[in-house]
Order: sequence, then C-alpha cells, then structure tokens
Amino acid sequence: MSKPALDLRDVEVVYERRGRERVRAVAGASLAVERGQIVGLVGESGCGKSSLARAAVGLVRPTAGTVVFEGREVTPLTRRARARELARLQMVFQNPYSSLNPRRKIGSQLADALDALDLAPRRGRRARVAELLELVGLLPSAAARYPHQFSGGQRQRIAVARALAADPSVLVLDEPLASLDASAQAQVANLLVDLSRRLSLSLLLISHDLAIVRHVADVVSVMYLGVMVETGPTQPLWSLPLHPYTEALIGAVPHPDGRGFLPEALPGEVPDPARPPAACRFHPRCPYAFDRCKQEDPLLRRVAPGRTAACWLQTGSGPPARPAEQAQRLPLLHTEE
Amino acid sequence: MTALLEVEGLRVRLPTPTGFATVVDGVDYHVEQAQVFGVAGESGSGKTMSMLALLGLLPPGSVVEGRAAFGGKDLLRLRGRDLRAVSGRDIGMVFQDPMTSLHPMLSVGRQLTEHVRRHLGLGRRAAAERAEELLAQVRIPDPTSALHAYPHQFSGGMRQRIAIAIALACGPRLLIADEPTTALDVTVQAGILRLLDGLRREHDLSVILITHDLAVMSSIADRVSIFYAGRVVESGSRASVLPHPRHPYTRALLDALPHPEAARDTPLVAIKGTPPSPQQIPVGCPYHPRCPYAIEVCTTDDPPLAPVNGRRLACHVDPFDE
Repeated sequence: MSKPALDLRDVEVVYERRGRERVRAVAGASLAVERGQIVGLVGESGCGKSSLARAAVGLVRPTAGTVVFEGREVTPLTRRARARELARLQMVFQNPYSSLNPRRKIGSQLADALDALDLAPRRGRRARVAELLELVGLLPSAAARYPHQFSGGQRQRIAVARALAADPSVLVLDEPLASLDASAQAQVANLLVDLSRRLSLSLLLISHDLAIVRHVADVVSVMYLGVMVETGPTQPLWSLPLHPYTEALIGAVPHPDGRGFLPEALPGEVPDPARPPAACRFHPRCPYAFDRCKQEDPLLRRVAPGRTAACWLQTGSGPPARPAEQAQRLPLLHTEE
Repeated sequence: MTALLEVEGLRVRLPTPTGFATVVDGVDYHVEQAQVFGVAGESGSGKTMSMLALLGLLPPGSVVEGRAAFGGKDLLRLRGRDLRAVSGRDIGMVFQDPMTSLHPMLSVGRQLTEHVRRHLGLGRRAAAERAEELLAQVRIPDPTSALHAYPHQFSGGMRQRIAIAIALACGPRLLIADEPTTALDVTVQAGILRLLDGLRREHDLSVILITHDLAVMSSIADRVSIFYAGRVVESGSRASVLPHPRHPYTRALLDALPHPEAARDTPLVAIKGTPPSPQQIPVGCPYHPRCPYAIEVCTTDDPPLAPVNGRRLACHVDPFDE
C-alpha cells in the first residue's frame, strides 16, 4: 500500500493551564488518511477530537508524536510563511458564521484565498472564483453577495469552496454538519462525498454524530478521552461494534421510524481530561468492566481483519463478537490467556 | 378528554423594516395531559415563534391573532401581570442553549429559588429544600453541592438538566422545550430525552417538543405536527405519521435523515432549494417550488389542512395515499 496522504502517529497534545494541572487532550493517538479516502473521527465533546484535528493541520503543536502530510512533517503555524506544499492541507470549521468575514463579499473572500498562494493570475481570478462556487453547487452570482445573504448550509459550502481554493489534497473538517438542519446536513454531506470522489480528495471528517458519519465515511475511528478505542471500515463497525463505547454511541442514536424507540443513555459523563481514570479510561462508564480494566490500560490492537479495538474483552482469538457476548464468555477468555 | 392547551387560528406577524412579515399563518393544535406533542420543521418555519406567542415573548410591535385556551383562559388575551401569573407558574420553557438561558453570575441555587419564592411564596428554607428536590428530580449528581455551584462548572448536558429543573420549579402543567438537545452529544441527548419521557410518565407533565430532528421527535412524541412556512402541513399520531408520511415535505425531511437501520448505501436525499423567507412566501402551496409532485393547482391554491384517515394533511396531490 502506498503512503497515506495524512499520517498522525502517537500524537499527544497537552495544554498548560496557569495555576492548574495540565490537560492531556490527546494522549497518544494515531490515525492515517489514505489518498482519496474519507475518514470519520467520532466521539463526545471533550474527547480530544478537535485538538487532534488542530494538530493535524498545524494549529497546535503536538507535545509528542508526528504529523506527516504527503511525506513532509507538518510544522505548527508561525509568523513566517509556511511551506507552500502544506497549503494543500486545508481545514473547514464548524461554524461558517464565524469563519467567514461578514463585511466582505464572497467573491473577494475566495479571491483572497487565491491571492495568498498566487494561485490565479488577476485575469483568471474571476473565472476561478466562479468555478469554485460551482464546485460546491452555488451559482457564480453568489460572488457578489455577503455571507448573511445565505442559509447556514450555503455558508458551509462557501467555507468549503474557500478551502478548495488552495487546491488541497486533504481537507480536515471539524463538525461541518453540526449546526445544520437535516436537509442542509444531507446536502453538505452528499457534497463532501461527491467532491472527494471527483477530485480524489482525502477527507478527515470530525463529528459527534456517528449516524451521519456512517453515510459518509469509508473508515471510522472512535475516540474517547484522548485515545482511539476502535477503528475499522464503516459498515462492519456499525453493524458489529467491538468496543463498548462504540456500541453505546450507536445505541444513543434516535430512530426516525415512529416506533418510539427510546435511545440508550450512556451513564455518567466524559471525565475531566486533566484527571483521566486509571487503566482503561472508559471503565467507570463501561457496563462490562471487570478487574483487569481497572488495573491495566488496554492498547489498541488488531482484533479482526481491518479492525482494531482497545478493550480487554476483545482478545482477537476467535471471531469478533459484540462486547455483551464477549463478557459472557469472560471466564473462558481468562483461561485461554 | 379536554385538551390542556388548545390553539386555534394562531397568526403571528412581526414588524420588519419593510412592513409586517407573517411568520405563523393560521396554526391549530392541541396538547393533551401527560402527552408529548412534537413540532418539527426547518429553521424559519415558525415553530419557535408560535410558542413564544403563547408566553407573550414576541418582539415589541408584533401582532398576534387567534385563540390559545389554557386552563380556562385565553393566553393570547392576557397581559402583563396576569400573563406572568399563568406563564410563570403553569408553563415552563427550556431553550436550545442552556448557557444563554442560565445566568452566568448567579449560583444554581439562587436561580432555582428565585422562581419558587416569587410564584409559590415559599420562604428561604422551604425554597432551598424545593431546589434540592428539583435537582434530584432531573438527576443532577450531588444536588446539595450543585446548589452552590455556577453554570460554567457544569457540562452542557448538566446545564440543560438545570435549565429543565428551573422550568419545573413551580410545578408547571406544560413544559415547552425548544430544541432542548440540539447542542448536545447523542449520548447526552439520549439522557435528556429519557428525562423528559420520565417526567411525562411520572409527573403527568405535558410537553411541547420543538425540534428539526424527526428522529428525536420519534423517540418520545405521542403526536406530531410538521410546520412549513408558518403553517402545519401534516399532523397526527407519531405512530401513523412517521412510518407513513403523506405530505411530500414530511417525506422529504425523513429522507434527508440518516436512518440507523437502513442499508448504508441508502443515499441521504436533500430537499432542493431552501425554505422561503417570511416576506416571500410563494403563492399557492408554500412548498410547491421545492416539491417534486407539484401540479398546476399547487401553484395557485393554498391547500387547507384537512382530515384524512385519522390525520390532517395539507396537500392537493397526496402522492403517498395508500
């Protein structure tokens, strides 16, 4: 297999806080985005997924680990110009209301992005702006309007168009669908898949909503309290979650079928990342936790073809099974080891 | 059985620099005792405005018509002190973002007791006891110490629970929850939905749940109304409307949602175009420019909300009639 387009290895992000204990928001997490692949990164607020995204594009400096984009190490942003090649790694934020300048026309904001990289000569600029707008499904006339004249979904598409101005090969998107209505969410989700296929663009899509990620991503990584707890191809991961946390995320998704299914609530809250639980970080909220989970930290390891999980229930011996089934076989698992 | 709240012909017009905009245009609904009534629609469909009208919380200069019978009174005719006496005590409201509805500088205890002391006339000690009881009711761990804490010390989900506790403080008969879980993680959302469901079952509370997410509505609502451009396009029981939507708009909202049990390859179908602004509601059926089933009559006549097989539907075509 060729080298991934974006490769994060054992990344750690620590925030120092004056007078208080430091927070290890990302506590050694790895993730690879292959060329043209859509990778979903899911987890609850406070799990470190946004910090990891920021480290991926160089907005925060990882305290350990490496971020490599197309064979080149991503260095944190400084006052000095960053390597031109790194412009092909772009980011889209959750809230297009705050990432677009409300007082400038869309066309000028897209032209700025082109100018910053000298990507289009003056004469070709207008045509390129029109082309970018068309790529995201907007009319060229949008260039003459201001951000407030668009709906939330359209604004998010403009934010995507601006990122596309740099002709990126990888887009990191932090909760791009979170503040949108269902229909706008579907529009933007379909657009992202379409762009990825048409431009062979790699996407790292960060979301708290596993249900929408399932429709978009090729592979999914599930993050909990700074570490990856499960990774795998989207469909098998959804139909057979191996980590209890992934199972809980899926069980919490409401169903729109009118049958009155009451989603399962995961007990407790995400613990304070400054003071994570010892051993398995998920054990205080895990319905299947046993002695070992409180004593030893399970590492992320391969438990089935293409699947990894960080859970003492998943030994990798025998076919993969749901956490509940594995828990029943627990006495057996112990004797096997 | 008579309904707890009965709204008829509600019409809300808001002042804008270019004249009045009709944001709610002739809406009827009723809410029964101990039921969850779900109101769904996209942003700008008039869901929130039709609720704010009941509480007298519309911007100054707004014009409200219609009738809203609640406990033998018409909420839309009450003013000032009389309205507050009803809306402050018998109706509670919870908003999307608990951080904007909670006061950041006041302790949770203070915000909870202020309410009960004012409306129920409780003394300091009785109010504190009541506050603790409320926090326990919404399942805040360690209610005693939570009373002395401030909103920023809680997570988003806990803050929303506190906002619900405040809304419940005076023992309301109706709770209006406007997108109460939209800003929350799915795991936390599930907890809030279970809490609302429990309050309805154990305390006979009636709930109006406003949401843009039909999946959220599907989990606890008994009856639902789908709003579009300031009017109801389809309403009925959850169990009949959501599995078999008859209005093209309801159908479209459902098709746009990721469905946990569908095959992954089922594409998400977005509705073309965007909802109309209140100043430019299309002539005829307001949904016709976005509707794949529209015929001639849809562009000229606004379909009335008429009863069909136990539900109400506003559509000339009714393409999903069985």
